Amino acid sequence: MKYTAVYVLWLLVLFLVPLSIVVLFSFLEPRVHGGVLWSFSLRSYSYLPQYLRLIWRSAWIAGVSTILTLVLALPVAFYISKSGHKNFLLLLVVVPFWTNSLIRIYAWRVILGNNGVINQFLNRFGLEPVQFLYNPFAVILVIVYTYLPFAILPLFSSMEKVDESILEAALDLGANKREVFVKVLLPNVKAGLLSAFVFVFIPALGSYAIPDLVGGLNSKMIGNEIARQLLIVKNWPVASAMSNLLIVVSLVGILLIMRREKMK
Amino acid sequence: MKKSLILLLTILLTFSAFGRATLYIYSWAGYVPEEIIRDFEKKFNCRVIYDTYASNEEMYAKIKAGKGKGYDVIFPSGDHVSIMIKEGLLQKIDHSKIPNFKYLDKEILNKTTFDPKHEYSVPYMMGATVVVVNKKYVKNYEKSWSIFERKDLKGKMTLLDDMREVLGAALKYLGYSVNTRNLKELEEAKKVVLRWKENILKFDSSSYADGVVTGEYWVVHGYAEDVYQRIPKGEEKNFDFFIPKEGGTLWIDSMVIPKGAANVDLAHKFINFILDPKNAARIADYLGLPSPNVEARKYMKTKPIYSFEDLLKCELIEDLGEFLEVYNRIWQEIIM
Repeated sequence: MKYTAVYVLWLLVLFLVPLSIVVLFSFLEPRVHGGVLWSFSLRSYSYLPQYLRLIWRSAWIAGVSTILTLVLALPVAFYISKSGHKNFLLLLVVVPFWTNSLIRIYAWRVILGNNGVINQFLNRFGLEPVQFLYNPFAVILVIVYTYLPFAILPLFSSMEKVDESILEAALDLGANKREVFVKVLLPNVKAGLLSAFVFVFIPALGSYAIPDLVGGLNSKMIGNEIARQLLIVKNWPVASAMSNLLIVVSLVGILLIMRREKMK
Repeated sequence: MKKSLILLLTILLTFSAFGRATLYIYSWAGYVPEEIIRDFEKKFNCRVIYDTYASNEEMYAKIKAGKGKGYDVIFPSGDHVSIMIKEGLLQKIDHSKIPNFKYLDKEILNKTTFDPKHEYSVPYMMGATVVVVNKKYVKNYEKSWSIFERKDLKGKMTLLDDMREVLGAALKYLGYSVNTRNLKELEEAKKVVLRWKENILKFDSSSYADGVVTGEYWVVHGYAEDVYQRIPKGEEKNFDFFIPKEGGTLWIDSMVIPKGAANVDLAHKFINFILDPKNAARIADYLGLPSPNVEARKYMKTKPIYSFEDLLKCELIEDLGEFLEVYNRIWQEIIM
């Protein structure tokens, strides 16, 4: 009971209070050099339609990244759940987190840059350099790389719970391997898939550093615009309104998970 | 490994320095040389904490949110000095405590339109935003903003991800003021930037310096001292820094004391220490920039990247208040 109180206080002070400030500020008027005027206004939300293109771009980049991440994570999680070295393999999945994510993003620049390792290799064979980076696809690649562990872990935990005999039964009853995977395994790990989807899609949608570092002229995402509105334009209400948009998307995701849990 | 060692050392030092006065500085990364800070600590038997920011905006957001508390000396650029004065975040400088102020160049003191009487700010460094060329890849070029029109360098160039700097460059290229309030001029500048946008790889303020030094980018728009410090020894001749012939934007970074400073007296001592000609010379040598301190120029050992005279054709970016909204709109039309 004592511990619950600490936990509640933690959530209240470090989560609920800042969140309420963001929600509150989005309904106020901006001041010229940052800060807010204490008068109610919906003006910041009226700005949002201007950003349809940006929102759409963020959504498709995050969506494509999430699907790719799930497609890659499924076989990995399956393999680990059936392996005899589970703990070791799980450790390997988590190891990249020991390095700061910014450094890992920079590493991609070293590998794929115009003057990077691969292009220097191509150059040695007299081939023209390829511009891998500074476009939305580079952003997708690095998002997939960064968030892959977030998809593997929940998928692993739900696959571990799947009784192996169900899969064997399906095989015995004449299903081929593909059918076992699609018709038996996938429906049984739906909950894991959903959590993996939410764990990847929500942070991907709010990406900031990845599009900034490996993106180019047309790969800015909503996170970059929030930072720009807050810092450069100094329009705190608009920045808050855009953050709220992201919060609403996350909430919908979390509600989806919770509803599923209840149905079970 | 190195990081954790530094961390350990910091913790040790923190304990050993218990009881001494502490000066909290908030400045650009690598802007004040380590030795200067260490000498100051020794001379005044105090401890200095040096926190860094990457942009004026980042600094301002933090100071504004903390209502000017937490730091004793900050190094904002001119437009942000005037914003911070207007927002009441700064306190007046006591000039009787800064006798070394007399060494500062009158020409620079006349340019600080953001605080003409230096009631709140003391200039630290000044410079121009420049174009840096990696000469290994680009041999022939004209020292003009028109370099960004060159189709043959498409995809090899970057402009700063900074509205005032980029629009300022385009305005200068057209022969207008970087602080124009004329809509027609701004629309023309927008067309220029849209043309440049066709040729650049991206708007980049965070990694252009590494980029041009490693050859990832060939031509970048940015701050000379950022690039200068990253060039490996012996490769200096491969890089050219130029202020375009049309002129460009000028920046003046000043030292200010925020309202909520805890150690005002030590802050004044620090500012005075920086203005000591011998120290000012070491700082200018370290940054590769001309010194605003007339007396310091005698002690300088290196030739700055550009001369003081070059700076005179550049124009200071001033705070435009409400009119900034027009700049914001135009910039948004460019980047979206």
